[in-house]
Amino acid sequence: MTEKQPPPVLSIHGLTKDFPGVRAIDDVSLSIESGTIHCLVGENGAGKSTLIKMLTGALLPTSGTMRINGSEYRPKNLQDARDAGIATLFQELHVVDELTVSENLTLGMERSRFGFLIKSDLDDRVIRTLKAIEPSIDPSARVSSLSVAQKQIIEIARAASSGANVIIMDEPTAALSEREVERLFGVIRRLRKEAVTVIFISHKLDEILQLGETVTVLRDGKHIATKLLKDIAGRSELIEMMIGRSVFQSYTPSTTVRKEAVLTAKGLTNKLLKDVSFHINRGEIVGFYGLVGAGKTEIARALFGADEVSGSILFKGQKIGRSPKDTIASGIALVPEERRTQGLFTEFTIRKNIPVMNLHRMSDRGIFRSLDEQTAAVDYVNQLSIATDSIDKHVKKLSGGNQQKVVLAKCLFSQADLLLLDEPTRGVDVGAKTEIYDIIRSLAGEGKSVAVFSSELEEVLGICDRIFLLYSGSLKSEIINNADVDVSHILNIVTGGEGVV
Amino acid sequence: MSVSTKAGRTVSRHRMSDGTFITLFVAVVAITLFLVASLLVPNFFQWLNLLNLVTNNWAVISLGVGVTFLLVSGNFDLSVGGNVALAGVLSVWFAQSTGGTNPLSIGIGLPYWFAILCALGGALMIGGLNALFVVRFRIPSIIVTLGTMLVARGIAQVITQGSQRNTNLPEEFGFLGNLTMFGTSIKFPVVFMTLLLLVAIFIERKMVFGRITFWLGSNPIAARLSGIDRSRHLTYLYLFSAAIAGIVGILLSSEFKSGYSNRGMLMEFDALVISLLGGVSIVGGFGSVVGMFFGAIILAIVTSAATGMVLSPDWQFTLKAITVFLAIVTQTWALARRNR
Repeated sequence: MTEKQPPPVLSIHGLTKDFPGVRAIDDVSLSIESGTIHCLVGENGAGKSTLIKMLTGALLPTSGTMRINGSEYRPKNLQDARDAGIATLFQELHVVDELTVSENLTLGMERSRFGFLIKSDLDDRVIRTLKAIEPSIDPSARVSSLSVAQKQIIEIARAASSGANVIIMDEPTAALSEREVERLFGVIRRLRKEAVTVIFISHKLDEILQLGETVTVLRDGKHIATKLLKDIAGRSELIEMMIGRSVFQSYTPSTTVRKEAVLTAKGLTNKLLKDVSFHINRGEIVGFYGLVGAGKTEIARALFGADEVSGSILFKGQKIGRSPKDTIASGIALVPEERRTQGLFTEFTIRKNIPVMNLHRMSDRGIFRSLDEQTAAVDYVNQLSIATDSIDKHVKKLSGGNQQKVVLAKCLFSQADLLLLDEPTRGVDVGAKTEIYDIIRSLAGEGKSVAVFSSELEEVLGICDRIFLLYSGSLKSEIINNADVDVSHILNIVTGGEGVV
Repeated sequence: MSVSTKAGRTVSRHRMSDGTFITLFVAVVAITLFLVASLLVPNFFQWLNLLNLVTNNWAVISLGVGVTFLLVSGNFDLSVGGNVALAGVLSVWFAQSTGGTNPLSIGIGLPYWFAILCALGGALMIGGLNALFVVRFRIPSIIVTLGTMLVARGIAQVITQGSQRNTNLPEEFGFLGNLTMFGTSIKFPVVFMTLLLLVAIFIERKMVFGRITFWLGSNPIAARLSGIDRSRHLTYLYLFSAAIAGIVGILLSSEFKSGYSNRGMLMEFDALVISLLGGVSIVGGFGSVVGMFFGAIILAIVTSAATGMVLSPDWQFTLKAITVFLAIVTQTWALARRNR
């Protein structure tokens, strides 16, 4: 508002965050000018979310300083961030479906007299803000009748009307259709006119090229560059900055793959998936790689019979049942995405978790053979080197990596011939990660087939024989893994690009 | 990274499970209460009295078995009290002979054994109804069984016209409920309860069926993804619970030689209360039949000691309430302290 050059709305200096054993953010310094759209890109694990968590007060930095409009900023929680004018649009929406749009906008700020709500100028203000950024939404409409994108816009309007001048958007387009993305972009551009700064995080590089003014690239927790987008020569330069020269775990081609399809899927289609077809060979490790929302989990669950899907699935040449119970019986097992909520009975001991997927193997006429149960538990604890002092330890007291191994043990006990591993190493420490990869390789060596569904490129390049690339529900490409596979080609495809860079 | 895990060490049990801990805790509380009551109430400390605490409560303890299994699976069964009345009234109505003078003495005239089977069938239908609504229509079990509780008692009331049926019954009708066994004064219903408890403990500890119940209650999503058929299992559980309620109702009718529509009133709540007192988790996945049994003893000691001591029987409900609150709070506290 003054003729003088104002200080940057947000500046970060020497910010570092250490976790036990890892430096997630390493000496990052950058400044964000007021009223710009600033994009943040980087691979999974590059440190984007850690950075955002420090900005919003969810994590405290190990060292370094942050400044807002020139004054020191040290948030301890989300409220501190909000008071300082930083609002965040998370991937999960925080709107109340049963209320109207304007009730949602004033939620928590209502005026009342004797316990009755009264109208205030607040209502007019929020409605004005909403009108300014998205005139098409009716303030009296019920939020449940709106689309995901419209709900996001409600959240943005709420942030804007509460006086936020920086809005952080963490992958806001992951669940949106193309038309909705356009609409969101319109809103973001209008926000900028209102002098609001937007920090925009997305994996979809085209969106960044289309929307952003400035881009910051992070890699392995380090700040690689902050550049004006007009100075960037397209996707290829961005991708190069993102991957750098990082060396991927060396892949050794498996010798056990046979040319014998164990599973053939044709035309899988459901709410997200669009006509996905592929096959998996005996003794093969295949990878499904794509961004969040690309359809990895959906394919895994569809194969496992956990979700509805149309199309045909043949396993060992036969049609299989459409429930987890049936698919397990035919020899497929799933390590689900969320081990605590979907994979484990955390209140029970290791011993009592293992037999669940193959009860026949452990019982006679419905009575447990407790000695066998004990032997099996001891065997798997040793075989998978689960770090515990007893098989009677509660699973909730194990570390993430060891919990994941218990889920694996459950699946191995089912004697499945095809293992579907959805994010097998998410939230697992480096040591356990390597061990899990070794387990996967030795399974393939025994002639079992493994499908790894992962959003970590390093992981799929490290262990998979063949990799399927997914983008927004479609299988875009299939590559045979080898030492000189073109990483930028892969990133180009999964971020929505076509053909060769 | 890998910690050496020798087989010998991995099997060692240096710490009892939370389940065992709570069961022991409840048992200790029950014994302590009995000793305290023995000091305060004259003639309380007698073997006969201890035995009576169990035998007088055979009906509720039996119902508690089904209720405990369902709670462990993460579901309620409030229909058992109504089902006791229904099965009892049905057994009487089916067994009453056809020739009677007033409407309440005219029955169906089936042979006694067949009348019992049909009454049991009626109880199982209520259980089937529970399963249908909970499993198929995915309605929360607390609502479903609240409804079927009223349905069952409602039917019983229509059949007895709000009163009771006790005439025109065959000679053998009173046999089962009053049969004394082993040359002692122990009646058949108490033996039934004992056998039921033993079978239930076996199912809970040793059988796949019991383990599935725990898995379902602990994490239904993981259970489904591990291939467990929730629908079938819950159906079995509701039928199991309804069968127990049916047998209890039939035995009570036999004992009193009458079918009374208010019989079993509030038994569903007593069964729930003793389960909770016994450390069964209301959100599922945790609890034991033995705990429920000691929960029943606690409740019995408190109510009988207090009414035998100073208070009029009118204080019964208030006492129950205080016991429940105290018991649940101490259990939560003990468990939290232990896992701190």
